[in-house]
Amino acid sequence: MLRAGSSPGSRLATAVLVCLTPAVVMAATGVLAASAASPGTRTGIVWCGLVGAAGAVVETLRRRHAVAVVREQCARQEQELLRRLARQEAGMVELARVALPEAIARLQRGDFPDDVLTAFETTDTVAGPEFHQARLAVLRAVLEAVDNEEGMRESAQRAFVNIARRVQAIVHRQAVDLRAMEDRHGTDPAVFEDLLRLDHGNALVGRLADSIAVLGGARPGRQWNAAVPLYSVLRGGMSRILDYTRVELHPVSDVAIVGPAVEPLIHALAELLDNATRYSPPQTRVHLTAVEVQTGIAIEIEDGGLSLGEEGRARAERMLHEAQAGLDLNDLGETPRLGLAVVGRLAHAYGFQVSLRPSAYGGVRAVLIVPQHLITTAPATGRAHGLGGMASESRPAPGTAMPSTAGPRRQGPATAPVPAARSSHRPLPRATAESEPAGPDAVPVVGDRTPNGLPQRRRHAAPSRAGAPTRAQVREPAPEPVQPGMWLAAFHDGVNGRAPSTATGGGHTSEESPGKGEQ
Amino acid sequence: MSAADQDTVDQDWDEGNPERLYVIARGRSPLAAHTTFDLVTLIISRSQPTPTMQPEHAAILRICGSPLSVAEVSAYLRLPASLVTVLLADLHAEKRIEVRAPIPKAALPARSLLEAVIHGLQRL
Repeated sequence: MLRAGSSPGSRLATAVLVCLTPAVVMAATGVLAASAASPGTRTGIVWCGLVGAAGAVVETLRRRHAVAVVREQCARQEQELLRRLARQEAGMVELARVALPEAIARLQRGDFPDDVLTAFETTDTVAGPEFHQARLAVLRAVLEAVDNEEGMRESAQRAFVNIARRVQAIVHRQAVDLRAMEDRHGTDPAVFEDLLRLDHGNALVGRLADSIAVLGGARPGRQWNAAVPLYSVLRGGMSRILDYTRVELHPVSDVAIVGPAVEPLIHALAELLDNATRYSPPQTRVHLTAVEVQTGIAIEIEDGGLSLGEEGRARAERMLHEAQAGLDLNDLGETPRLGLAVVGRLAHAYGFQVSLRPSAYGGVRAVLIVPQHLITTAPATGRAHGLGGMASESRPAPGTAMPSTAGPRRQGPATAPVPAARSSHRPLPRATAESEPAGPDAVPVVGDRTPNGLPQRRRHAAPSRAGAPTRAQVREPAPEPVQPGMWLAAFHDGVNGRAPSTATGGGHTSEESPGKGEQ
Repeated sequence: MSAADQDTVDQDWDEGNPERLYVIARGRSPLAAHTTFDLVTLIISRSQPTPTMQPEHAAILRICGSPLSVAEVSAYLRLPASLVTVLLADLHAEKRIEVRAPIPKAALPARSLLEAVIHGLQRL
């Protein structure tokens, strides 16, 4: 056989040598035999020798040819095997590096395992059908395992969200009830104080339920249709944390948050405020401000606690960004992680930008930017205590003009628009008295809503004064429960002989009455 | 929870206000303020609201341009009277409002006497 590594020239020489050896041996044997034999038989021996040598040559050549053919076949086969091996190797690598991750990713995006499998069946089968089958089997096994896992995780998540929703519903009902009770027992300070405490605890429970719902991929609790003023939103966030008294709310610009973003924003702020109050000394204040910036409204929460190191800050920010992964049941145990994960989720879903920076006070300064499209400058229709509540009433202004946002939107029975002058409210009751011929006895009920069970009436002294030019009306003062001070003021007016029928006189008496009352 | 349940919950939850009353009171007890104010205490504002004020304080100053009782302030603001007294106590401490206790019934002269005096005066 040929030695590997021999050069082509020497190989040829060797081949020739190998081919010729039998012939040479035959020839030599023939020559020897011929030389040893008698001359008579020499010719025959020579012939025999020649034929033998020729036969040996032919046979050698034939075998050699057969060997070459076999060798070529072997080489081809080996090549083929090597190629298959390479393809299988490539197939394995592809399976490990491309196909499996992609299949799992598709599965996690929500595709069905069968769909994913059919998508991967169409790839080439050059590595052999058996290999392909095995590859599909591996894929199927992994996908099924992952799918099972996902299913279990999802059902756990759904169960959490479901429970959270139910807690939210109960908490909300309780909040409504508590508010009604607060109104009902508003005059009893001791009961009222207790109700406030219960209300606060209820709000804390609600926040926890909201957090779990958000981490489970659901929306936070409630939906607001109308826009809510930013100030109310900030106070809404404050109302859901334990240490709300430490939060110092600074005046904010007069904008409103569109309804769908209200609840997420309140919740995100509550979580950030909770972190701020939790990780700062109890005697320090937490500052809450909101300023307008180019991209929207920047809400800043600054605490005077421990500064967050660069590493800690990076970890917290990473947590904010990685919050999309879903509800990790391990997170539920740890409050700060839970809070930041919730904020991260909400920020991702609603486009808030959240960043944590070292504060000038030494603590952490969390900035949450509400994008422009979630802000409206239109007067919020949502009722805010003190402001919106007044705006939505039909009551004419009893004193000075209402805030500009309120405006005289709906006119009450006294339809005159209210000028901003101080004495301008005097003619209004008179107009009411004219439109209601019942005289000063009729209490001009203007606001029809009495949510507290308290009488919603205008001051009674003014009509009795303004609409009493005749003696009969002076002689018959209002027998209704008149406020003593007012009654006395009217008496003084009568005594001083003022003409209370004119508007200026009415205005004058209003200036006078406090002075008289003090006497 | 089914989708239908979800919807009813959402509709149900659309009412109300994000602020709770304890935040407006800022955690202070209404008991302390209760000694100064009762429902018929008259309130008169002595200064104009400033922009940095809590909105409820500003609203009280606005509507108390003429004397209003605590009950009336409470009704106009739609806030419970106890909460209003807390807010009023703040304003009182800052001397932004004047608080006038109602004249006790006993200190008032009898109504018939007053009427008689009026009649007498008018007859002059």
